[in-house]
Amino acid sequence: MWKVYKYTLIDLARNKFVGGWLLLLLAITAGLFQLEDQPVKAMLSLSQVLLALVPLVSCIFAIVYLYDALEFTELLAVQPLHRSKILGGQLLALSTALALGALLGAGLPLLIFFPGGASLTLALACFMLTLVFTAIGALIAIKNREKARGVGLGLVIWFLFVLVYDAVLLWIMFAFSDYPIEPWIVPLAALDPIDLGRIMVLLKVDLAAMMGYSGAIYEKFFGNLRGILVAMAALAAWVAVPSAVAFKAFRKKDF
Amino acid sequence: MARVIFENTGKQYGAMWALRGLHARFEPGETVSVIGPNGSGKTTLIKCLLGLVHPSTGSIQVNGQPVNGDPAYRHQVGHMPQISRFPNELKIGQLIDLMDDIRSSGMDRAQGPLVKELGVDAMMDKRLGTLSGGQRQKVSAVLAFRYAPTVLVLDEPTAGLDPLSAELLLAAVRDIKRSGCTVLITSHLMEEVEALADRVAYLQEGRLQFLLSPEEITGATGLQRLSKAIPALLTRNAKAHVESV
Repeated sequence: MWKVYKYTLIDLARNKFVGGWLLLLLAITAGLFQLEDQPVKAMLSLSQVLLALVPLVSCIFAIVYLYDALEFTELLAVQPLHRSKILGGQLLALSTALALGALLGAGLPLLIFFPGGASLTLALACFMLTLVFTAIGALIAIKNREKARGVGLGLVIWFLFVLVYDAVLLWIMFAFSDYPIEPWIVPLAALDPIDLGRIMVLLKVDLAAMMGYSGAIYEKFFGNLRGILVAMAALAAWVAVPSAVAFKAFRKKDF
Repeated sequence: MARVIFENTGKQYGAMWALRGLHARFEPGETVSVIGPNGSGKTTLIKCLLGLVHPSTGSIQVNGQPVNGDPAYRHQVGHMPQISRFPNELKIGQLIDLMDDIRSSGMDRAQGPLVKELGVDAMMDKRLGTLSGGQRQKVSAVLAFRYAPTVLVLDEPTAGLDPLSAELLLAAVRDIKRSGCTVLITSHLMEEVEALADRVAYLQEGRLQFLLSPEEITGATGLQRLSKAIPALLTRNAKAHVESV
């Protein structure tokens, strides 16, 4: 696995898109802190941009890269290697390249311009969302034979998580506010990894009060270390489950 | 013992059988040309042998080892695909290093069959993304022959190669065959089939129509050229089939 990892990472390190992604994140992060007078406002805007952009780019890049590498993956698959080692190497290299891009492009300037727990949480959320959406992208690329269909599916899934699910959750909370639905809100939020990241960051910026009813529920649950650990565990499950399904599909895949 | 054994091998995609009921044994040191019209199942046969496609029925053995078991059997297999694409940003030398790593080969990257002959040694620092189709085929050929395979699978190997390189490749096929390697080669060029094949496997609609030596084919039809003898044999077999029904 490490041989495939090493050479895939060498290829990714020279990939213009990966370098461009790092520079774009750097420009957005530094630019927002330069433009805003109040760092907390810049932080808030930045969290909205990053928590939408990082999943989108991770998912679509993973899909496109794995489709473009299909013939090379075939070449590896006819070598004396277990298929799990091929996918393991490729997935790990993609996650490393994209996560490094997110941490160096957004995490590092965040900690320089706005040092503290909120920046650290946002960097951590970006890191975890990179892993989650790279795994989802890999699963999509393995399960679909056509590139255009794969990319389209990636966009639909991203749109569902970034906007649709959040809107549905808000509607449920307001529509059933007269009922004791509090115990259900946190598990329902955990079904959307982007929502999880968003909640973790907003609570650290001390803006939970602005989130009204839902903010109070989230603060009660996520406002302590146990809550953060549960959120991280939920995000880790979001990495593990699509990865496990992708490995199973890759073992059975006909090239 | 036969080097490659297909036992009732079949592959179904949805309702369509790309390959069905294939029984065949390929011996050490023989070259078998797999031919047939487009969509006849040639690529599926090759992919089943390489473990790229999982057969729906039957089994395949290489050197006595089942294909869908331990991938270690692939230490003995070389493959040159019809179309090769490699990671754009890697250099040729790095790709060879990766394959040497996987195969645990301590060979110098500039050594080995066809490296110098095809001029690959002079291109080691070239990025794979900048190569032409023919240059990619040369890299592919070098990798296929590099690890002394006992089974070599070549899919349209000379397509895209210049005439001199194609001739060098065919000479390498003859050499490796003499060392006892079993070579499976798909080609649409009858000159290649005539020049290399010890036996010809003809596939149509996923079924093996015949597996005969060139002498048996020409002898059965009275025609000297395979390009004429094969259609004549197929027509005769089809007529015989209709009459028997």
